Amino acid sequence: MINATNQDRYNRLKKTSTIHYNMEVNQVLSEIMDDFPDKISGMEYFYNKFKPLEIGESLYPKDKKLIASMCIHVPIEIIHALDATAVRICSGAYSADTAGSDFLPAKTCPMVKSTLGALYLDMLPGNAIPDLVINPTTCDQKKKMGEMGDEIDKEFYVLEVPPSKDSEEARQYWQRTIKKLVKKLEKCTGNRLTRGKLKKSIKTIAQAQSEYRRFMRLRKEAPVIFGKDALLIANAYFFDDITCWTQNLAILNDELEERIENNLMVIKSRTPRILLTGSPSIFPNMRTPILIEKLGGIVVYEEFCSSSRMLSDTVAVDEWFLYDMVPAIADRYLKPSTCPNFTPNDDRIRKILLAMDDYKVDGVVYQTFTGCQLYDMEARKIGKALEEAGYPVLNVELDYNPKDSGQLTTRLEAFLESIKDNKRNT
Amino acid sequence: MKKIKIIQYINNSNVSRFRTIIQIAFFVLFVYGGYFFINIGQNLPTFACPYNPGSSGTCYLISAQHNLHITWEQLVSFRGLGFITGLGSFVLFFIIFNKAWCGYACPLGTIQDWITRLRKLTLTRFSHYDEVSFKRLSKVKYVFLVLLILIPLGMSNSFFGLPEISDDMGAPFCQICPGRTILPLFSGDTSQLFIDFTTKTTMVMSSLGILFMALFFVGSFFKKRFFCFFCPMSALQYLFSKIGVLRLVKDGSKCTRCGNCSRVCDVGITAIADDITSKNIVKDDCMMCFKCVEACPEKGALDVKVFNFKIFSSTEEGFFKRYGQGDSLTSKKKKDD
Repeated sequence: MINATNQDRYNRLKKTSTIHYNMEVNQVLSEIMDDFPDKISGMEYFYNKFKPLEIGESLYPKDKKLIASMCIHVPIEIIHALDATAVRICSGAYSADTAGSDFLPAKTCPMVKSTLGALYLDMLPGNAIPDLVINPTTCDQKKKMGEMGDEIDKEFYVLEVPPSKDSEEARQYWQRTIKKLVKKLEKCTGNRLTRGKLKKSIKTIAQAQSEYRRFMRLRKEAPVIFGKDALLIANAYFFDDITCWTQNLAILNDELEERIENNLMVIKSRTPRILLTGSPSIFPNMRTPILIEKLGGIVVYEEFCSSSRMLSDTVAVDEWFLYDMVPAIADRYLKPSTCPNFTPNDDRIRKILLAMDDYKVDGVVYQTFTGCQLYDMEARKIGKALEEAGYPVLNVELDYNPKDSGQLTTRLEAFLESIKDNKRNT
Repeated sequence: MKKIKIIQYINNSNVSRFRTIIQIAFFVLFVYGGYFFINIGQNLPTFACPYNPGSSGTCYLISAQHNLHITWEQLVSFRGLGFITGLGSFVLFFIIFNKAWCGYACPLGTIQDWITRLRKLTLTRFSHYDEVSFKRLSKVKYVFLVLLILIPLGMSNSFFGLPEISDDMGAPFCQICPGRTILPLFSGDTSQLFIDFTTKTTMVMSSLGILFMALFFVGSFFKKRFFCFFCPMSALQYLFSKIGVLRLVKDGSKCTRCGNCSRVCDVGITAIADDITSKNIVKDDCMMCFKCVEACPEKGALDVKVFNFKIFSSTEEGFFKRYGQGDSLTSKKKKDD
């Protein structure tokens, strides 16, 4: 229960956290926008999506229910088909980290702490006030975080993700989980899932995916856009209107195509090409990609659940009826996922190795958040596979505190230098 | 450049629609071709049923059963040549289209696809089975295949001193095959719908024939290509599938195992998504309809080849044409390459 003194404390915390958040956002935005001279005009739309937060009204349609989700296992096709707004709330804000620490152990992953903190303080993108928070049981920390719902006065819904994805049993279990979610969402929104709406929403998202894949193909061809920008684009997908997002990405893609034709690259073609993977970079925690690109590298592919993993995989339906569409959507959110909560997770190794070839990557930066066990544990296996294939890997551990970047800078600098040396010698 | 355009056009095309048309053409050919004096031969790797007066050929299963109705001595003499040439011409016919005979040419397969359409019109959902036990059950097709070879031999020879099998068992598979009962109906011939009370054997076999016909209709209404799981022709074809000219090839390194291919598969082959080591991905129930290739969004993960020449490949663009209805992948300004 929140009594008067607590309410006062809450208000003060919210006020200071918002001020800190806005400082953080301004700082990162200026780094992203001003420290890199070459401006791509199509990026303007996406930059504008990350303006500082103003305390006040929600920016989302008021007549629609707002469903918040975490991770990449929540089928947003269904949320849209039920005429609700979907917002993914995984947070990258250091300013919300402290508030989350009140509820969780000190060694918890900063992303989980920050997400809980942002939920508690209502510091979500666009001032979203979720009617329901869907919490998939991916990692243990997200799982346990979902139990804090009462304390922060938010309704959580546990979406049961199986620990493995290969068996037929896991698939059946997951399909039932999704059917149950449909019931829950129908109750929450008061709308019924219909064939036509679900079909339409599958197609809308397929168009977004197709545009994103086109964007990735352009990145394959030439260093035409920075990774920090690519990450922002994927980040905007968390909370943006999907049709708007797709249209603006199409405009950007056209511009990039033109740039490729005119040979207008953002960086020299001999720049070290980096694949970034591990714990996801979410705005404003963009330290690693910004540092890499300031130090003369370019991130060409992010194997993150905040970018390519969220947007690449597609839904294929055989019979366009609810009885086949819902399981098809369920399959899409389970089978191709390379989330490290699944065991075994060899698909992630294969995906990275394929990207190494496709995107002509020179080296991998593997980022782990302090306290993020799953990514930390997979670092070894992936590092080994990459080294066997002859690629250099740099493991970095970081939390959300932007102040301790010194060591990270030194290590990234040395790593990029060694790649440059190798490139020169070959 | 023109070549690239053609390849792009094919890869973006809707193969399933093309298949529907080809199926109708083959259906007319095999069910009514006889009326136009077409005779394609006696060893067709598909259900061109001679019990149907309009048939333009003969299914190899019936030829094989006749060819094997001989004694051991005859089998190794010149009469055995009949079996060998029959099998040879079956294989020659077969390898051209490989298992696409099932997906594109087989009249019984086509009828089942029509029944599926009918089910969709009635908004009835397909039923689910426990995949593991259903797969085990579908091994029955190999039992049928072995029996349809052994029973004709057993009619002319004695196995281990046992008495010879009665001649009432002649062409045993035909007696229970739904093709014999159903295909003549399309020529207006209902004479196959009977139970033969001559002997006990004929009674049992013709009853089974009627029962299997009923199962064919009911089964395929609720499960796509229900009969194909138990089809000995499919089993026999699979033995030669590796030397087929038409091939379905997978590049496992490009596969994300998203399962789109096995989702849309009419016969529920899971290996096509999960197997990332095999190159030749044609399994015994596969009918080479290539819906899997249509549903695959990964460029070059699945290829249809004639010898080593790609004729249809999975592409991002094609996928989104078919499943996303948007063609945003091709931008307005196309690069000239």
